[in-house]
Amino acid sequence: MNTPTTKETSLRTAVREFPSNVWSSIFRHPLPSNDLERSQTSFTNFFLHLHPVKVHRNTLRPIYTMGLGLMSLFLFLILVVTGILLMFYYVPSTTQAYDRMLDLRGTVAFGLFLRNMHRWSAHGMVALVFLHMCRVFFTGAYKKPREFNWVLGVVLLLVTLFLSFTGYLLPWDQLAFWAITVGTSIAGYAPLVGGQIKFLLLGDTTVGQEALLRFYVLHVAVLPAVMVLLVAVHFWRIRKDGGLSRPETASAKADAGVVQIRIEPGKRTFGLQGFVRGPFTKIGNVPDDTVYSWPHLLVAELFVFVLTVSVILLVSLAFHAPLEQPVNVMHPPNPAKAPWYFLGLQEMVSYSAFWGGIGVPTVMVVLLFLTPYIDRGQKGVGRWFARERLLANTIFLSLVILNVIFIIIGTFFRGPNWTFVSPF
Amino acid sequence: MPLAVESRKVKATAEGQMPRRRLLAWLSSVGLFGSAVLAVISDLVFFKPRVTYSPSARFGIGKPDDFPPGTRIAREVDRVCIVRDGNRMAAISTTCTHLGCIVSISDTGFACPCHGSHYDQDGTVTGGPAPKPLPWFKVSLAPNGELEVDKNSQIEPGTYFTV
Repeated sequence: MNTPTTKETSLRTAVREFPSNVWSSIFRHPLPSNDLERSQTSFTNFFLHLHPVKVHRNTLRPIYTMGLGLMSLFLFLILVVTGILLMFYYVPSTTQAYDRMLDLRGTVAFGLFLRNMHRWSAHGMVALVFLHMCRVFFTGAYKKPREFNWVLGVVLLLVTLFLSFTGYLLPWDQLAFWAITVGTSIAGYAPLVGGQIKFLLLGDTTVGQEALLRFYVLHVAVLPAVMVLLVAVHFWRIRKDGGLSRPETASAKADAGVVQIRIEPGKRTFGLQGFVRGPFTKIGNVPDDTVYSWPHLLVAELFVFVLTVSVILLVSLAFHAPLEQPVNVMHPPNPAKAPWYFLGLQEMVSYSAFWGGIGVPTVMVVLLFLTPYIDRGQKGVGRWFARERLLANTIFLSLVILNVIFIIIGTFFRGPNWTFVSPF
Repeated sequence: MPLAVESRKVKATAEGQMPRRRLLAWLSSVGLFGSAVLAVISDLVFFKPRVTYSPSARFGIGKPDDFPPGTRIAREVDRVCIVRDGNRMAAISTTCTHLGCIVSISDTGFACPCHGSHYDQDGTVTGGPAPKPLPWFKVSLAPNGELEVDKNSQIEPGTYFTV
């Protein structure tokens, strides 16, 4: 193939090699059969160069990461694809939006199914991003040098919540209207600028066409753009921070006769790039516990992808996305309930609008942002529920349980006029 | 090492010029940063509509005779409750001060279906999470003999308009 030739290529050779030379111009390397080619897959393919050439064996343990972050990413991709398709039939108008929902259900081919997929993926993404955060906390994976990636993760959680909030407003059913009404009223309780924020969000003094248009633009353009950018930085930093945090293994300790090379945390890079640029070469000196990304990491990712897509397809076949009555600005549904993940917030709001809607959530978010800068011990990283992190894990777990309790109360124990009812 | 020596030399020979260079750099940074701030502010101005399309906050509700003494009618579209007590009239908001739901008229005053706030006949909070009483709006008599409610001007609760 690569033999240098002095004579002109004849037309006959050009014809004979035609399809394969197109293929080799696109994919510079054939399917890998040795380690050099395995590293070249990650190097020379645009879509694979996000991956390191080699990954540590321990980061591939399913029980360690549970693939939660990756599942969130795949759900986001499903949301982008189904969302763009839904945009072809949706009109952000208070008079048309609801009719378009009925059209999706009744006349558009696969319309109902696409809406189901979009809605259930959104619910799944909120849940999985939250669980991913819990995983990172309970394994201490936000410790130095990964503090800032945790902060980015908290921002991504907030963007996910805001995307889902702006999303369920768009059908312009009863849930949508009263969720905007309540949501922007909560924003109005913010000190000093609350009224201004509310007016900017609604684009008007009352909830109507302007508000729908604003939330639509936020949902389909602004927030996804922010999300894509931050996800890219989030992934980039995984590698710059030295790969995923990982459980230690006994075998990683060097043999007595081997010269140890100091490896600074955070500067450890693998493969050719590290060889060229990094100050530390570890070839042959440190016991190597890494495997090639191709095929080990890629197969794991493919498995998570197939799992995620299959679950969403099955759920969308079995359950229909909720759609309430068309908007009636005179009569809020009684009780007017948000989707499950906001019911904890709604329960808190029913005690005090300011403390439940602004005060407590702000304190929680600030605490989340500061977590890696407060909890700075380096012990117990890479292990689930490490004994050394008992205090931090207990505090975090209590807050998670508290949130779940509030969600359960809001979901099952609240009836008309938000009075306490028993579901039994 | 040679680099450091060189730079020190430059600093020494060009002692008089460096502050000017630094000043220019400083000024241009201020300029760039200032433009960024201005851009953000102009965005905020852009997002704040100067004209809104919602119905006017001042609207006529009909002649005083349309409301016999003892009337309590909720005008759902306008979100006000028109009260007539003898020859005194008032317009009380029916938007819950908690989170903006519409309160309905109950036996004891007003009740909110969303989070269970209760108000008495004058809109004073009697229970639930509502932080403030229901506001009262200014009622006036227009030249054409119709009553007019202005939702932009809130008045002290208990201030009636005498017809």
